[in-house]
Amino acid sequence: MPSVDTKYFGTMDYREESVYDFPAGLPAFVDHRRFVLIELPQHAPLVFLQSLLTPELCFLAFPILVVDRDYHLGIAAEDLRALELNPDRQPELGTEAMLLALLSLHADSVPTANLLAPVVINIQNRRGLQAIRHDSLYSHQHPFELRTAEQSC
Amino acid sequence: MLVLRRRAGEALLIGDDIEIELLAVTAQGAKIGIRAPRDTVVLRKELKITQEQNARAALGPPLQDFARVIEKLRA
Repeated sequence: MPSVDTKYFGTMDYREESVYDFPAGLPAFVDHRRFVLIELPQHAPLVFLQSLLTPELCFLAFPILVVDRDYHLGIAAEDLRALELNPDRQPELGTEAMLLALLSLHADSVPTANLLAPVVINIQNRRGLQAIRHDSLYSHQHPFELRTAEQSC
Repeated sequence: MLVLRRRAGEALLIGDDIEIELLAVTAQGAKIGIRAPRDTVVLRKELKITQEQNARAALGPPLQDFARVIEKLRA
């Protein structure tokens, strides 16, 4: 089993099924094309997107519905095409696609989640990208209310 | 901020070598054409915002605070 040096959990074994390809990387981190999704029961529903390129890069993320249970998908057709998903409709969460909101921590305010640009993963081919919405329905700094998470657990 | 009113087909110039043309306006939005030197970076602002937000998100909690921060997030 391959192993990866992680930012938070030391060296971990992982299965190839937990690796996701990001052919274009992520904005500001375009060289990082492969990430392991670390899901640990003791941290659920929080997940970790660990770069395979360097241990230092590991994003904290929530499944998007944990942040906003009414989140309205708005993935652009060109992003759906890049993921080999049907570009004519939004994918079904959980069966076709997984959407993660990356978290930012702030010293003086509540954590925020990026709902403007969720990480979208095609579950079938395990390909991902960060899909920036073309509308202005959601913020890149959506305040994460802790009570919201509790209710959806 | 300078505000100008333009109709489809009209253009404006920024400096000597950047031209921005309003190609079409629909209910979905405005279609804009940009003529600029090859080395001028043109980005959708949301991409820049996402780059900056990712850089911030990548900082994560300091290792010594990790357990406390994580516990708070899940509380």
